[in-house]
Amino acid sequence: MLRMQKLASAIQDAARMLLEEKKVDLVVGFSKGSLPLRSTPCFIRKPEDAAKLTWDCSCENNLANYLRKRQDRVAVVAKGCDARSIAALINENQIDRNNLFIIGVPCSGMVDRAKVEAALEGKDLIAVEEKGDTLVLKAIGVTMEVKLDDLLHDTCKVCRYGNPVIYDMMIGEPAPAKPEDSFADVAAFEALSPAERRAALAAEFSKCIRCYACRNACPMCYCTECFVDCSAPVWVNKSTGTDDNIMFQAGRVFHSAGRCADCGACDRACPMGINLRGMTRKMVKEVKELFGYETGVNPDEKPALAEFKADDPQPFLVKE
Amino acid sequence: MQRNPYLPLPMKLVKNFTETEDKLIHTFTFQFMSEEDEKSFPYMPGQFAEICVFGKGEAPFGIASSPTEPGFLKFSVAKVGVVSNALHLMEEGTMVGVRGPLGNYYPVEQMKGKDIVIIGGGFAFTTLRSLINYMLMPDHRGDYGKITVIYGARNPGLLLYKDERDEWSRRSDIDLICTIDRPADGWTGKVGFIPAVTKEVAPSANNSVAIICGPPVMIKFTQPELEACGFKPDQMIMSLENRMKCGIGMCGRCNVGNKYVCKDGPVFTRAELNQLPNEY
Amino acid sequence: MIIAKNALPGLLDKLIAEYEVYAPVKEGTYSLYKQICKGTEAYFGFLNSKIPPKGILFPQSEKLFSYSGAQMEECIDSKKKVVFGLRPCDAQSLLLLDSVFKNDKYEDPYYMNRRANTLLVGMACCYPAPTCFCTSMGGGPFDSKGLDVMLTDIGDEYLVEAVSEKGRELMAKMALSAAGDGQKAAAAKVRDAAVVTCEVKTDGLKNKLDANFYDSIWESFHEKCLGCGSCTYSCPTCHCFDIVDEARDCNGCRVRNWDSCMFPLFTLHGSGHNPRTTGKERMRQRVMHKFKYFVDNFNATACVGCGRCIKNCPVNLDIREILADIQGSEARSDK
Repeated sequence: MLRMQKLASAIQDAARMLLEEKKVDLVVGFSKGSLPLRSTPCFIRKPEDAAKLTWDCSCENNLANYLRKRQDRVAVVAKGCDARSIAALINENQIDRNNLFIIGVPCSGMVDRAKVEAALEGKDLIAVEEKGDTLVLKAIGVTMEVKLDDLLHDTCKVCRYGNPVIYDMMIGEPAPAKPEDSFADVAAFEALSPAERRAALAAEFSKCIRCYACRNACPMCYCTECFVDCSAPVWVNKSTGTDDNIMFQAGRVFHSAGRCADCGACDRACPMGINLRGMTRKMVKEVKELFGYETGVNPDEKPALAEFKADDPQPFLVKE
Repeated sequence: MQRNPYLPLPMKLVKNFTETEDKLIHTFTFQFMSEEDEKSFPYMPGQFAEICVFGKGEAPFGIASSPTEPGFLKFSVAKVGVVSNALHLMEEGTMVGVRGPLGNYYPVEQMKGKDIVIIGGGFAFTTLRSLINYMLMPDHRGDYGKITVIYGARNPGLLLYKDERDEWSRRSDIDLICTIDRPADGWTGKVGFIPAVTKEVAPSANNSVAIICGPPVMIKFTQPELEACGFKPDQMIMSLENRMKCGIGMCGRCNVGNKYVCKDGPVFTRAELNQLPNEY
Repeated sequence: MIIAKNALPGLLDKLIAEYEVYAPVKEGTYSLYKQICKGTEAYFGFLNSKIPPKGILFPQSEKLFSYSGAQMEECIDSKKKVVFGLRPCDAQSLLLLDSVFKNDKYEDPYYMNRRANTLLVGMACCYPAPTCFCTSMGGGPFDSKGLDVMLTDIGDEYLVEAVSEKGRELMAKMALSAAGDGQKAAAAKVRDAAVVTCEVKTDGLKNKLDANFYDSIWESFHEKCLGCGSCTYSCPTCHCFDIVDEARDCNGCRVRNWDSCMFPLFTLHGSGHNPRTTGKERMRQRVMHKFKYFVDNFNATACVGCGRCIKNCPVNLDIREILADIQGSEARSDK
């Protein structure tokens, strides 16, 4: 955990320097949250406030979300997935690269709060102690030691891009390389019969309360008017019905085809613990298999759906 | 328990009249289906109602008719949203739902014995029509002093209620001043923005009440002119608009500070608004 | 009176024969209040539910009436209900909702009918969470106001106490045994041990909010807010709703759905004008509504300190910190 503290102080130094030298007006990073094992997005404008910045395994939010269409010069603390989203947003003209300074931070994964909740069987976490590769979780009447690896978010477990692909300054030692994503979870879903798939989706999306935390947490969801909010025509009923909830999510997933960096921000934002990545990753896999494209991995590459090639595969149009 | 406030009263559209030259405002006349229904809808000038187009939804509109015109309700509606679009296309004879009357009304009791200055801009004139007709009613006319009406729109074709304006112009107990933004062929009235015309007319604030309805920019610039004439905040009355749904102070969206425009308004004095945040 | 924990499912089954019974049900890593068909479905292992039980009386999506042309049929639900295992904070929230759904001019028949037909069996909180701050908001882990019956967990048994006359009648149907002195003492002991550690200072908060609408303090609170409805939908006192038609041609129904002041669409006029343009105004509205406007209108804060908004916020925006910042600020009223 010393590693985390070192990263944190390096982030603070970088932020202080950038603000002192007036290279940026603002640094977007994380500060300590109000609950154990939680960090919170934080906005630093004065060099003396840089000490508020922190880094640990709870920096779960995708900060690319705060960078669109800004007029000020901003520095951002970016882990691998943030950087991929930033690259995608630059591609979509949502971020002016010249006004953005990326402080890249290697990431070996963030903790999934739902897994902590599950480990504690719903008891509230009171304190956490970091002990090597394990976390000691404390709740009323419970103290348990859990391997950090077992608490990591599923998205982090399969992520091969912990090291930012785009940055102006890189902090710390690179995270170790990981094997190719096997998409085993998607394959399991694909192996189901259509009826079973429908049932699986219904089981998940019956939980949706339509708070739109998933949409709003997604850096790529920035439509001025989201199709769910449109009143003429009504694409999706505003009521929470399982079918409409699925329709909402399906629309969102289709709209993020070739744009989703599989950062898991939607999944982590969901208060109801819906497995949103079940759907988003199906699309990520399709795009990767069809077009060999992974969002934001190669910043100079045109997004899959922004380009047409005569030999593009189109198995969804014609049975080959 | 009282009547379910969410259930509209079925009414029949008996007239769908294109009110303005640009065809964007229609005046709808709805007929009560029974005397009992009409009794259950006792309203006053300044109140509004939710008009429901079955299959589309409902939307709030100020009532343009006056309680002194029995048997029907009138609304002048601009084509902006789903409900108003459906209304504009509606054939006469179609059934709609009307929910109300909702909100408070112009303080016609407190206004008694006073000179009345009515200032309206654009299509916000609807509830002012209700108020004018109410005051001009022979039973009520004696209750009020001089009635001055300043009414403006961008061009003559956008002024509402032509026939009635002609009638008011012929009467001696109401002083109607109409104005348009730019000169137009055949126009013999005033030309100029409402604040300027207000300044020119210079209504006396002495024992007077001013009622102002119109777009925010008109209100913003007219208010100082009235103040210059000596009008105090409690002599200036306005009707607010905010997005509304329930109309009964529960759904939570139309509040300005701790007041709900739908239930505590829409009519407020400037003095009351001065106590509230500027969130409308 | 006393009931053994292992006898509770049987008792619930008895109630189910007569009432719609709602109780916390385990849903993965959290619990939700749901209608149960068998007593064994109820699960009291979590301190409180993910989403408040307000939805039992004020459902997230609710049909107001159905229509075929101008022929309308209202959908009033008057079925007898019992909410079992309600926490004191949520019971307090219902008292607050009562003042919303019955105002000086109107009464909401949907909520009021359900309310009149619903009995509330509470469950005292022996182990308040670190995010609980009910004692700062006029409640407490053993506060019984608004409840009909209160249960206290004393190990293998619950102490059952009637709070209201309706509660006494309900208890008479339950065939419970009398509590002994030892059991009463045990209940007193857990009551004394249940301490809410978190405190939110509310003294003078209203005075600050009375004066700081135009203060620069509002410039920063919303900066990290995503503008989702997670906080408002998980709030037991938030009650804003939208009304829409779901119809094909002229046949359909009018539905009301929970809505949130955090959504830009909430106040958007047909003209395109929006009185609350940015997250700043919307965040201010949420805080003002809970801690000023509601106090102006009903003399109570529209917050019961359940802590759900804190736990459910995707970016850890903590209402306690906002209130503390407001408390620490110099209130200026320069417009």
